[in-house]
Amino acid sequence: MSFNTRSPAVKRLLKEAQELSQSSELFYAQPLEDNLFEWHFTIRGPPDSDFDGGIYHGRILLPAEYPMKPPSIILLTPSGRFKVNEKICLSISGHHPETWLPSWSIRTALLALIGFMPTLGEGALGSLDYTTDERKALAKKSVSYTCSVCKTQNSEILPELTEKSNEQCAEARELASQIQFKNSKSTEEPKRQSASESEPSGLVRRNITDSDGQSINFANNVNRNENLSHQRTETVRVESTIRQSSRQSLDKILLIILFALSGLFLFLLLRRAYLIVDKEPFSI
Amino acid sequence: MTSETNQEFNFYEDELIDEKIAAQQTAIEKEIANEQKLVGDLIELNTLLNEYLAEDTVYRSKITELSERFRYMRKTRGDGNCFFRAFAFRYFETLMGKPDEINKLKDLVNKFTSDLSQLGYNSFTVDDFKDVFIEELEKLNNTSDIRLLEEIFNNSGSSDYIVVFLRLIVSCYLQNNSDFYLAFLETYQSMKDFCSHEVEPMYRESDHIHIIALTNALEIPVGIIYLDRADQEKATPHNFPDDSNPNIFILYRPGHYDIIYRN
Repeated sequence: MSFNTRSPAVKRLLKEAQELSQSSELFYAQPLEDNLFEWHFTIRGPPDSDFDGGIYHGRILLPAEYPMKPPSIILLTPSGRFKVNEKICLSISGHHPETWLPSWSIRTALLALIGFMPTLGEGALGSLDYTTDERKALAKKSVSYTCSVCKTQNSEILPELTEKSNEQCAEARELASQIQFKNSKSTEEPKRQSASESEPSGLVRRNITDSDGQSINFANNVNRNENLSHQRTETVRVESTIRQSSRQSLDKILLIILFALSGLFLFLLLRRAYLIVDKEPFSI
Repeated sequence: MTSETNQEFNFYEDELIDEKIAAQQTAIEKEIANEQKLVGDLIELNTLLNEYLAEDTVYRSKITELSERFRYMRKTRGDGNCFFRAFAFRYFETLMGKPDEINKLKDLVNKFTSDLSQLGYNSFTVDDFKDVFIEELEKLNNTSDIRLLEEIFNNSGSSDYIVVFLRLIVSCYLQNNSDFYLAFLETYQSMKDFCSHEVEPMYRESDHIHIIALTNALEIPVGIIYLDRADQEKATPHNFPDDSNPNIFILYRPGHYDIIYRN
């Protein structure tokens, strides 16, 4: 690899790669061989949480302005906490999105991510609120994940967890209280993986208000709309269609549904009022 | 059902608004970057007259009056870092070819670096900014070639690194003197909170408290000349600290800081 070493971002990333070249018990991250601005990482699920024993792999995308602007993170291993293949962005808690401090680093981001995992998703975009059992099942399964790009095997990469990491776990929790993760709109299409890999099969979602649940509702609405207007278009596939189709067109459809429903509602209301006033509009 | 749909719709709408704001922000940033260098060339201050209509007598008479005392100026890019960048450029300019003063600043910089690590800052990243800051500063030891300084400050790499480090110094100073400065905070509970939201993030605009802290931390007085629509004959000067006699002057027009040079 050859770089413009006058660029502070390049210098900084080379330094960070050097600093993180030894795997810690909690995480490991290194740049891809051909791109210093994309890293792959592996993190350990925090012990004493649903993610205990889980090992999760993902990508870090760094902007050219790094460290002035924040990196974004994409998880590749299903965890039941974050959606896979969606960009999440970290920002300081309780404020304006995109508030990133240049004194943070990739290490900060990953520790915060670990600490953030046990917090509630609460329906935030990119978050999943799976049940404890589902998360535990995914944690078990996550160990067998192998990345198709960097060939990292989750089972191999991190040293066994020992008491040495207690301090780091505490640091992760502390950071997670200051930093939050938000889904960010991706300008880059995430690499799709096969459905079986990206979504856990055979698991029933408990909470309909999680983001996937919402996708399903949208899909249903779309279907209903089609039935109402007797316009048959191609089948709407749940989730993948919603995720990939542009938000704008989805919004338009929703707007139309809203108008249609409120129109119907108004009509029924008027009809009702008419019925009450006139007493005998349509005698049977 | 209606209400549920409604809720979901808003949920996406918020998301869309965020997205639009971000896109618009990027567009604005680009436009500003194309129009204005990070630190502009030396120009005559009375060229500012071109920015105001002939009818705008308040501004025009103030500018004419001001340009008699401050003939030259440099504009800075309005990216939220303008105070820090204007100050740093002008401060570095006064240090050119003065190794003794540069060494004094280096000592101060090292003191703040160790203070920051005591406050729990990651010394790995703090050192990264400090190293660039010192590296650029040392280039000025034996030169008075202003083109070198212009180059340092118009290369966003070195320029932004210097801004980040000054922001860290301000944050460090405020946190170590929070007893006094806490009284100025309105919406923040703690100084740490204020610093991580209003001081350390790039592109966050500076207020009085930033200016006071920076001038006290570096012990470098600054004169700010306020040029606004206030009903006075002259632009209002304000020195930080009050009783100082500064060499560095900055012109403030609502929302923006530029460098000005006293005759």
